[in-house]
Amino acid sequence: MWFLLPVLGLIIGTYLGSNITFQLPPIYIKYMSIAVLASLDSVFGGIKAILEDTFDGTILLSGFFTNALLAALLAYLGDRLGVDLYYAAVFAFGIRIFQNLAAIRHHSLTKYRQRKARIRGERNG
Amino acid sequence: MDKARWHIPITVVLLCLGIMLSLQFQAQTRVASDLTFQRTETLIAMVRSLSEKRQKLALEITDLGNQLRSQMESSRDEKKLLESIYAEREKMRIVNGTTALKGPGLTITIEEHMPIIYTDLLNIINELWNAGAEAISLNEYRITSHSTISVAEDAYHEDGYSIFMTVNHEKLEYPIIIKTIGNPNNLEKGLTLPGGIMDNLALFNAYPEIEKVEELELPAIEKPTSYYFMKEYKPTEKDKEKTTKTTTPQEIINPLKNIAPR
Repeated sequence: MWFLLPVLGLIIGTYLGSNITFQLPPIYIKYMSIAVLASLDSVFGGIKAILEDTFDGTILLSGFFTNALLAALLAYLGDRLGVDLYYAAVFAFGIRIFQNLAAIRHHSLTKYRQRKARIRGERNG
Repeated sequence: MDKARWHIPITVVLLCLGIMLSLQFQAQTRVASDLTFQRTETLIAMVRSLSEKRQKLALEITDLGNQLRSQMESSRDEKKLLESIYAEREKMRIVNGTTALKGPGLTITIEEHMPIIYTDLLNIINELWNAGAEAISLNEYRITSHSTISVAEDAYHEDGYSIFMTVNHEKLEYPIIIKTIGNPNNLEKGLTLPGGIMDNLALFNAYPEIEKVEELELPAIEKPTSYYFMKEYKPTEKDKEKTTKTTTPQEIINPLKNIAPR
Protein backbone atom coordinates (compact mmCIF):
# COMPACT_ATOMS: atom_id res chain seq x y z
CA MET A 1 0.00 0.00 0.00
CA TRP A 2 3.03 2.27 0.28
CA PHE A 3 2.90 3.28 -3.38
CA LEU A 4 -0.41 5.11 -2.69
CA LEU A 5 1.36 7.77 -0.61
CA PRO A 6 2.92 9.63 -3.61
CA VAL A 7 -0.41 9.47 -5.46
CA LEU A 8 -2.11 10.94 -2.39
CA GLY A 9 0.58 13.64 -2.33
CA LEU A 10 -0.13 14.51 -5.95
CA ILE A 11 -3.91 14.70 -5.31
CA ILE A 12 -3.47 16.87 -2.20
CA GLY A 13 -1.04 19.13 -4.09
CA THR A 14 -3.48 19.62 -6.97
CA TYR A 15 -6.29 20.34 -4.51
CA LEU A 16 -4.16 22.89 -2.63
CA GLY A 17 -3.05 24.55 -5.85
CA SER A 18 -6.61 24.87 -7.15
CA ASN A 19 -7.85 26.30 -3.84
CA ILE A 20 -4.98 28.73 -3.33
CA THR A 21 -5.99 32.38 -3.73
CA PHE A 22 -2.62 33.28 -5.20
CA GLN A 23 -2.81 34.00 -8.91
CA LEU A 24 0.23 33.75 -11.09
CA PRO A 25 0.96 37.07 -12.82
CA PRO A 26 0.69 36.67 -16.61
CA ILE A 27 4.33 37.67 -17.24
CA TYR A 28 5.64 34.66 -15.25
CA ILE A 29 3.47 32.07 -16.96
CA LYS A 30 6.20 31.32 -19.49
CA TYR A 31 8.84 30.69 -16.79
CA MET A 32 6.40 28.73 -14.68
CA SER A 33 5.69 26.44 -17.61
CA ILE A 34 9.38 25.67 -18.08
CA ALA A 35 9.74 25.09 -14.32
CA VAL A 36 6.82 22.66 -14.43
CA LEU A 37 8.49 20.85 -17.32
CA ALA A 38 11.75 20.55 -15.33
CA SER A 39 9.81 19.26 -12.30
CA LEU A 40 8.05 16.65 -14.40
CA ASP A 41 11.43 15.51 -15.69
CA SER A 42 12.75 15.22 -12.12
CA VAL A 43 9.72 13.19 -11.02
CA PHE A 44 10.03 10.77 -13.91
CA GLY A 45 13.74 10.53 -13.25
CA GLY A 46 12.96 9.70 -9.63
CA ILE A 47 10.52 6.97 -10.62
CA LYS A 48 13.11 5.53 -13.01
CA ALA A 49 15.67 5.55 -10.20
CA ILE A 50 13.27 3.66 -7.92
CA LEU A 51 12.77 1.02 -10.56
CA GLU A 52 16.53 0.78 -11.13
CA ASP A 53 17.12 0.63 -7.37
CA THR A 54 19.49 3.63 -7.58
CA PHE A 55 17.14 6.04 -5.78
CA ASP A 56 18.58 8.82 -3.64
CA GLY A 57 16.15 11.18 -1.90
CA THR A 58 18.62 14.06 -1.61
CA ILE A 59 19.47 13.96 -5.29
CA LEU A 60 15.80 13.88 -6.23
CA LEU A 61 14.82 16.82 -3.97
CA SER A 62 17.81 18.97 -4.93
CA GLY A 63 17.38 18.10 -8.59
CA PHE A 64 13.70 18.90 -8.46
CA PHE A 65 14.08 22.39 -7.05
CA THR A 66 17.34 23.42 -8.73
CA ASN A 67 16.26 22.13 -12.11
CA ALA A 68 12.98 24.03 -11.91
CA LEU A 69 14.64 27.22 -10.70
CA LEU A 70 17.50 27.03 -13.16
CA ALA A 71 15.19 26.33 -16.08
CA ALA A 72 13.04 29.34 -15.21
CA LEU A 73 16.13 31.53 -14.70
CA LEU A 74 17.65 30.38 -17.96
CA ALA A 75 14.48 31.18 -19.84
CA TYR A 76 14.40 34.60 -18.17
CA LEU A 77 18.05 35.23 -19.03
CA GLY A 78 17.36 34.20 -22.61
CA ASP A 79 14.54 36.72 -22.77
CA ARG A 80 16.87 39.40 -21.42
CA LEU A 81 19.62 38.57 -23.88
CA GLY A 82 17.33 38.16 -26.85
CA VAL A 83 18.15 34.46 -27.23
CA ASP A 84 15.27 32.06 -27.03
CA LEU A 85 16.78 29.75 -24.41
CA TYR A 86 13.18 28.85 -23.54
CA TYR A 87 13.02 26.57 -26.57
CA ALA A 88 16.35 25.01 -25.68
CA ALA A 89 15.02 24.16 -22.21
CA VAL A 90 11.77 22.79 -23.66
CA PHE A 91 13.75 20.69 -26.08
CA ALA A 92 16.20 19.36 -23.50
CA PHE A 93 13.59 18.57 -20.85
CA GLY A 94 11.21 17.14 -23.43
CA ILE A 95 13.84 14.70 -24.64
CA ARG A 96 14.75 13.73 -21.10
CA ILE A 97 11.12 13.19 -20.14
CA PHE A 98 10.61 10.86 -23.07
CA GLN A 99 13.82 9.01 -22.28
CA ASN A 100 12.80 8.63 -18.66
CA LEU A 101 9.31 7.45 -19.65
CA ALA A 102 10.85 4.91 -22.04
CA ALA A 103 13.18 3.66 -19.30
CA ILE A 104 10.28 3.38 -16.83
CA ARG A 105 8.29 1.38 -19.37
CA HIS A 106 11.26 -0.82 -20.09
CA HIS A 107 11.99 -1.57 -16.45
CA SER A 108 8.40 -2.18 -15.44
CA LEU A 109 7.93 -4.55 -18.37
CA THR A 110 11.04 -6.56 -17.52
CA LYS A 111 10.02 -6.69 -13.83
CA TYR A 112 6.53 -7.83 -14.80
CA ARG A 113 7.96 -10.57 -17.04
CA GLN A 114 10.38 -11.69 -14.34
CA ARG A 115 7.59 -12.00 -11.81
CA LYS A 116 5.40 -13.88 -14.28
CA ALA A 117 8.26 -16.30 -15.01
CA ARG A 118 8.86 -16.76 -11.30
CA ILE A 119 5.20 -17.52 -10.62
CA ARG A 120 5.14 -20.01 -13.52
CA GLY A 121 8.36 -21.60 -12.26
CA GLU A 122 6.89 -21.93 -8.75
CA ARG A 123 3.73 -23.54 -10.17
CA ASN A 124 5.73 -25.99 -12.28
CA GLY A 125 8.18 -26.77 -9.58
CA MET B 1 15.28 -1.34 -0.27
CA ASP B 2 14.06 0.80 2.58
CA LYS B 3 10.58 1.78 1.50
CA ALA B 4 10.11 4.84 3.72
CA ARG B 5 13.31 6.31 2.29
CA TRP B 6 12.03 6.69 -1.26
CA HIS B 7 8.37 7.30 -0.45
CA ILE B 8 8.80 10.47 1.55
CA PRO B 9 10.93 12.45 -0.97
CA ILE B 10 8.80 11.44 -3.92
CA THR B 11 5.62 12.37 -2.05
CA VAL B 12 7.05 15.80 -1.28
CA VAL B 13 8.13 16.23 -4.88
CA LEU B 14 4.76 15.15 -6.22
CA LEU B 15 2.97 17.50 -3.77
CA CYS B 16 5.01 20.43 -5.09
CA LEU B 17 4.43 19.27 -8.67
CA GLY B 18 0.66 19.13 -8.04
CA ILE B 19 0.63 22.69 -6.72
CA MET B 20 2.71 23.95 -9.64
CA LEU B 21 0.62 22.06 -12.19
CA SER B 22 -2.70 23.39 -10.97
CA LEU B 23 -1.33 26.93 -10.67
CA GLN B 24 0.02 26.78 -14.19
CA PHE B 25 -3.23 25.25 -15.44
CA GLN B 26 -5.28 28.06 -13.91
CA ALA B 27 -2.98 30.73 -15.29
CA GLN B 28 -3.03 29.17 -18.75
CA THR B 29 -6.86 28.94 -18.85
CA ARG B 30 -7.01 32.56 -17.68
CA VAL B 31 -4.69 33.60 -20.48
CA ALA B 32 -6.61 31.57 -23.04
CA SER B 33 -9.82 33.35 -22.09
CA ASP B 34 -8.08 36.74 -22.21
CA LEU B 35 -9.16 38.95 -25.12
CA THR B 36 -5.64 39.76 -26.31
CA PHE B 37 -4.92 36.06 -26.96
CA GLN B 38 -8.13 35.44 -28.94
CA ARG B 39 -8.16 34.86 -32.67
CA THR B 40 -9.31 37.74 -34.86
CA GLU B 41 -12.29 35.78 -36.22
CA THR B 42 -13.60 35.03 -32.75
CA LEU B 43 -13.10 38.64 -31.76
CA ILE B 44 -15.07 39.81 -34.80
CA ALA B 45 -17.84 37.35 -34.03
CA MET B 46 -17.90 38.49 -30.41
CA VAL B 47 -18.08 42.14 -31.40
CA ARG B 48 -20.89 41.39 -33.84
CA SER B 49 -22.96 39.43 -31.35
CA LEU B 50 -22.41 42.03 -28.65
CA SER B 51 -23.42 44.92 -30.88
CA GLU B 52 -26.52 42.97 -31.93
CA LYS B 53 -27.33 42.41 -28.28
CA ARG B 54 -26.81 46.11 -27.60
CA GLN B 55 -29.18 47.06 -30.42
CA LYS B 56 -31.80 44.68 -29.07
CA LEU B 57 -31.43 46.16 -25.62
CA ALA B 58 -31.71 49.71 -26.97
CA LEU B 59 -34.91 48.69 -28.76
CA GLU B 60 -36.18 47.24 -25.52
CA ILE B 61 -35.39 50.50 -23.75
CA THR B 62 -37.43 52.55 -26.22
CA ASP B 63 -40.20 49.96 -26.07
CA LEU B 64 -40.34 50.12 -22.31
CA GLY B 65 -40.20 53.91 -22.40
CA ASN B 66 -43.24 53.95 -24.70
CA GLN B 67 -45.00 51.56 -22.40
CA LEU B 68 -44.23 53.75 -19.42
CA ARG B 69 -45.50 56.83 -21.21
CA SER B 70 -48.76 55.15 -22.22
CA GLN B 71 -49.22 53.81 -18.72
CA MET B 72 -48.68 57.26 -17.27
CA GLU B 73 -51.15 58.72 -19.73
CA SER B 74 -53.75 56.13 -18.88
CA SER B 75 -53.20 56.71 -15.18
CA ARG B 76 -53.64 60.44 -15.76
CA ASP B 77 -56.89 59.74 -17.59
CA GLU B 78 -57.97 57.53 -14.75
CA LYS B 79 -57.20 60.30 -12.30
CA LYS B 80 -59.32 62.70 -14.34
CA LEU B 81 -62.12 60.17 -14.44
CA LEU B 82 -61.86 59.65 -10.73
CA GLU B 83 -61.93 63.38 -10.10
CA SER B 84 -65.03 63.80 -12.23
CA ILE B 85 -66.64 60.87 -10.42
CA TYR B 86 -65.84 62.49 -7.08
CA ALA B 87 -67.29 65.79 -8.29
CA GLU B 88 -70.39 63.95 -9.47
CA ARG B 89 -70.72 62.20 -6.12
CA GLU B 90 -70.40 65.50 -4.31
CA LYS B 91 -73.14 66.95 -6.48
CA MET B 92 -75.36 63.94 -5.88
CA ARG B 93 -74.82 64.29 -2.15
CA ILE B 94 -75.83 67.94 -2.27
CA VAL B 95 -78.89 67.13 -4.33
CA ASN B 96 -79.91 64.24 -2.11
CA GLY B 97 -79.38 66.35 0.97
CA THR B 98 -76.83 64.14 2.69
CA THR B 99 -74.52 67.10 3.30
CA ALA B 100 -75.12 70.34 5.12
CA LEU B 101 -75.11 73.32 2.77
CA LYS B 102 -74.51 77.03 2.86
CA GLY B 103 -75.22 79.81 0.45
CA PRO B 104 -77.26 82.97 -0.11
CA GLY B 105 -81.02 82.80 -0.03
CA LEU B 106 -84.20 83.60 1.88
CA THR B 107 -85.65 82.82 5.25
CA ILE B 108 -89.43 82.83 5.68
CA THR B 109 -90.62 82.97 9.25
CA ILE B 110 -94.13 81.90 10.19
CA GLU B 111 -95.37 82.72 13.69
CA GLU B 112 -97.89 80.69 15.61
CA HIS B 113 -100.66 83.28 15.41
CA MET B 114 -100.75 83.18 11.61
CA PRO B 115 -103.61 81.13 10.22
CA ILE B 116 -101.53 78.84 8.04
CA ILE B 117 -102.22 75.20 7.28
CA TYR B 118 -99.94 72.56 5.79
CA THR B 119 -101.14 73.10 2.22
CA ASP B 120 -99.92 76.67 2.50
CA LEU B 121 -96.51 75.34 3.43
CA LEU B 122 -96.63 73.05 0.40
CA ASN B 123 -97.61 75.96 -1.79
CA ILE B 124 -94.78 78.10 -0.46
CA ILE B 125 -92.27 75.29 -1.02
CA ASN B 126 -93.60 74.59 -4.52
CA GLU B 127 -93.40 78.27 -5.31
CA LEU B 128 -89.80 78.36 -4.06
CA TRP B 129 -88.86 75.38 -6.24
CA ASN B 130 -90.51 77.15 -9.16
CA ALA B 131 -88.54 80.31 -8.44
CA GLY B 132 -85.29 78.39 -8.73
CA ALA B 133 -84.56 77.34 -5.17
CA GLU B 134 -81.69 74.90 -5.00
CA ALA B 135 -82.27 73.58 -1.48
CA ILE B 136 -84.99 74.08 1.09
CA SER B 137 -85.26 73.23 4.75
CA LEU B 138 -88.23 73.40 7.10
CA ASN B 139 -86.94 74.18 10.59
CA GLU B 140 -84.22 71.52 10.95
CA TYR B 141 -85.59 69.19 8.27
CA ARG B 142 -84.20 69.24 4.74
CA ILE B 143 -86.84 69.00 2.06
CA THR B 144 -85.95 66.26 -0.41
CA SER B 145 -87.88 64.13 -2.85
CA HIS B 146 -88.84 61.88 0.09
CA SER B 147 -90.03 64.58 2.47
CA THR B 148 -93.63 64.52 3.64
CA ILE B 149 -95.58 67.50 4.90
CA SER B 150 -98.85 66.63 6.51
CA VAL B 151 -101.13 67.23 9.42
CA ALA B 152 -101.74 65.20 12.55
CA GLU B 153 -103.98 65.24 15.59
CA ASP B 154 -102.66 65.25 19.08
CA ALA B 155 -105.10 63.21 21.14
CA TYR B 156 -103.22 63.73 24.38
CA HIS B 157 -102.96 67.50 24.25
CA GLU B 158 -103.71 69.33 27.47
CA ASP B 159 -106.58 71.21 25.79
CA GLY B 160 -108.02 67.86 24.82
CA TYR B 161 -107.72 68.26 21.10
CA SER B 162 -105.33 69.95 18.72
CA ILE B 163 -104.07 69.76 15.17
CA PHE B 164 -100.49 70.32 14.24
CA MET B 165 -98.44 70.16 11.10
CA THR B 166 -95.79 67.51 10.55
CA VAL B 167 -92.77 67.24 8.40
CA ASN B 168 -91.32 63.79 7.87
CA HIS B 169 -93.84 62.60 10.49
CA GLU B 170 -92.33 64.88 13.13
CA LYS B 171 -94.18 67.67 14.80
CA LEU B 172 -93.37 71.08 13.37
CA GLU B 173 -92.65 73.58 16.14
CA TYR B 174 -93.34 77.30 15.92
CA PRO B 175 -91.89 79.57 14.75
CA ILE B 176 -91.62 77.74 11.45
CA ILE B 177 -88.55 78.95 9.59
CA ILE B 178 -88.24 78.03 5.94
CA LYS B 179 -84.70 78.40 4.74
CA THR B 180 -83.95 78.26 1.05
CA ILE B 181 -80.80 78.63 -0.98
CA GLY B 182 -80.97 80.26 -4.37
CA ASN B 183 -80.90 83.69 -5.97
CA PRO B 184 -82.54 85.80 -3.17
CA ASN B 185 -84.08 88.33 -5.56
CA ASN B 186 -85.61 85.69 -7.81
CA LEU B 187 -86.95 83.78 -4.84
CA GLU B 188 -88.50 86.88 -3.32
CA LYS B 189 -90.09 87.87 -6.61
CA GLY B 190 -91.47 84.37 -7.01
CA LEU B 191 -93.20 84.66 -3.66
CA THR B 192 -94.37 88.24 -3.79
CA LEU B 193 -95.51 88.61 -7.39
CA PRO B 194 -99.03 90.06 -7.65
CA GLY B 195 -101.65 87.35 -7.22
CA GLY B 196 -98.93 85.03 -5.90
CA ILE B 197 -98.75 83.04 -2.73
CA MET B 198 -98.12 86.03 -0.48
CA ASP B 199 -101.16 87.89 -1.80
CA ASN B 200 -103.10 84.70 -1.33
CA LEU B 201 -102.00 84.40 2.29
CA ALA B 202 -102.69 88.09 2.90
CA LEU B 203 -106.35 87.33 2.19
CA PHE B 204 -106.28 85.18 5.32
CA ASN B 205 -104.43 87.86 7.24
CA ALA B 206 -101.20 85.92 7.29
CA TYR B 207 -98.03 87.82 6.60
CA PRO B 208 -95.00 85.55 6.74
CA GLU B 209 -91.78 87.44 7.22
CA ILE B 210 -89.42 87.23 4.25
CA GLU B 211 -85.80 88.09 4.75
CA LYS B 212 -82.88 88.00 2.33
CA VAL B 213 -79.75 86.47 3.83
CA GLU B 214 -76.21 86.62 2.51
CA GLU B 215 -75.21 83.27 3.91
CA LEU B 216 -77.56 80.57 5.10
CA GLU B 217 -76.77 77.19 6.59
CA LEU B 218 -79.00 74.26 5.76
CA PRO B 219 -78.83 70.98 7.69
CA ALA B 220 -78.31 67.57 6.13
CA ILE B 221 -81.06 64.97 6.19
CA GLU B 222 -81.00 62.79 9.26
CA LYS B 223 -80.81 59.42 7.55
CA PRO B 224 -80.20 58.88 3.88
CA THR B 225 -82.79 56.90 2.02
CA SER B 226 -81.76 53.39 1.05
CA TYR B 227 -82.89 51.90 -2.20
CA TYR B 228 -83.51 48.19 -2.47
CA PHE B 229 -85.98 47.65 -5.27
CA MET B 230 -85.20 50.27 -7.87
CA LYS B 231 -83.04 49.29 -10.79
CA GLU B 232 -82.00 51.22 -13.82
CA TYR B 233 -84.11 50.38 -16.84
CA LYS B 234 -82.47 50.50 -20.23
CA PRO B 235 -84.85 50.04 -23.14
CA THR B 236 -83.85 47.08 -25.35
CA GLU B 237 -83.55 47.42 -29.13
CA LYS B 238 -87.15 46.32 -29.64
CA ASP B 239 -88.48 48.85 -27.18
CA LYS B 240 -86.38 51.54 -28.77
CA GLU B 241 -87.84 50.71 -32.16
CA LYS B 242 -91.31 50.92 -30.73
CA THR B 243 -90.66 54.27 -29.13
CA THR B 244 -88.89 55.69 -32.15
CA LYS B 245 -91.74 54.56 -34.37
CA THR B 246 -94.18 56.58 -32.44
CA THR B 247 -92.03 59.60 -31.78
CA THR B 248 -89.68 60.16 -34.74
CA PRO B 249 -90.21 63.47 -36.43
CA GLN B 250 -90.12 61.60 -39.75
CA GLU B 251 -93.46 60.03 -38.89
CA ILE B 252 -94.86 63.46 -38.48
CA ILE B 253 -93.21 64.78 -41.60
CA ASN B 254 -94.11 61.79 -43.77
CA PRO B 255 -97.77 62.62 -44.20
CA LEU B 256 -96.77 66.04 -45.41
CA LYS B 257 -94.39 64.42 -47.88
CA ASN B 258 -97.20 62.30 -49.18
CA ILE B 259 -99.26 65.35 -49.65
CA ALA B 260 -96.54 67.48 -51.20
CA PRO B 261 -96.38 65.88 -54.68
CA ARG B 262 -100.09 66.11 -55.21
